[in-house]
Amino acid sequence: MDDIGFILATYIATFVGSVGLAWHYLRRGRRLAEQLPPEDKPWI
Amino acid sequence: MAVTQNQITKTAADGSANAVVNRLEPSGHSRRRSATGTPFTFALGVATIVSMAVLVLFGLFLSPADVTQGESVRILYIHVGTVWIAYVAFGVTAISSGMFLWKRTSSLVWDRIAGASAEVGVLFMALTLFAGAIWGRLSWGKFWVWDARVTTTAFLFITYVGYLAVRGLGGSHQQRGRRSAVVALLAVLEIPLVHFSVRLWRGLHQEASVAGTTKVKLENLMLFSLFVALISFTLLYVWLVMHRQRVLAMQDTLDDKGLDFALAARRAETEPVLESAEDG
Repeated sequence: MDDIGFILATYIATFVGSVGLAWHYLRRGRRLAEQLPPEDKPWI
Repeated sequence: MAVTQNQITKTAADGSANAVVNRLEPSGHSRRRSATGTPFTFALGVATIVSMAVLVLFGLFLSPADVTQGESVRILYIHVGTVWIAYVAFGVTAISSGMFLWKRTSSLVWDRIAGASAEVGVLFMALTLFAGAIWGRLSWGKFWVWDARVTTTAFLFITYVGYLAVRGLGGSHQQRGRRSAVVALLAVLEIPLVHFSVRLWRGLHQEASVAGTTKVKLENLMLFSLFVALISFTLLYVWLVMHRQRVLAMQDTLDDKGLDFALAARRAETEPVLESAEDG
């Protein structure tokens, strides 16, 4: 496969970026949720 | 053993902080569980992971190489998928901003959806530019050219980074909402410019391969892979926006009630120390 390094870099950057953002949201959410009572989290 | 006042204070603070956390968390609610998740978002997350795996399978292994572009066509599935989400995200930001500004539907929920969607859109726009630069290197021999489509896309990216900066300015939540909604409604006008830039100005960037005016026809397996990419990234977008919107809701609540909670925590910290002093 030609140029496999470039192609893989595109896929890896996309997945790392997406997973990184998802991880950041989950961690931030967990930290904030610890400071709030359940009535302020109506989705739970 | 000598115990310093700092150690006593620290121990009391740690203990009371845990007490506050225990009081705030419902019984049986594990701290490991996602604080912004629901069964729906869990199912959505699983569907996203599965569809992403299918995308990798088709994008890297099962779809054929292109007659003219060769293997580099595999970047198409990422490039088109991410730009699709960026457009959708910025469109949702504009619609939500309109809903926020319209008095009948005005609610901070719309403002938070707008903010969450723009954040996700900025990430996907950055990934679009990255994938485009790689594809440009393989197709045109350069990572960057001052082509109309490439330049307007970069301009759109910078505009939405500016939108996020405007959201971060001080003021009340209502002020933030109004200010950023106006910016979002102006910024979205750039999307047609980006989309039609390949027709308005002749450049290196090709027109849309699907639903475009070119005579380029994608092979069936390529078309299917592209379809999988669009589905995967859409699922990911919805998951990210739902979680981010909830994080923003909690952040806003803490901004409003933060002082009350801080006072309650402080009281909880001092009570055990005072009680032990009285006992002593």
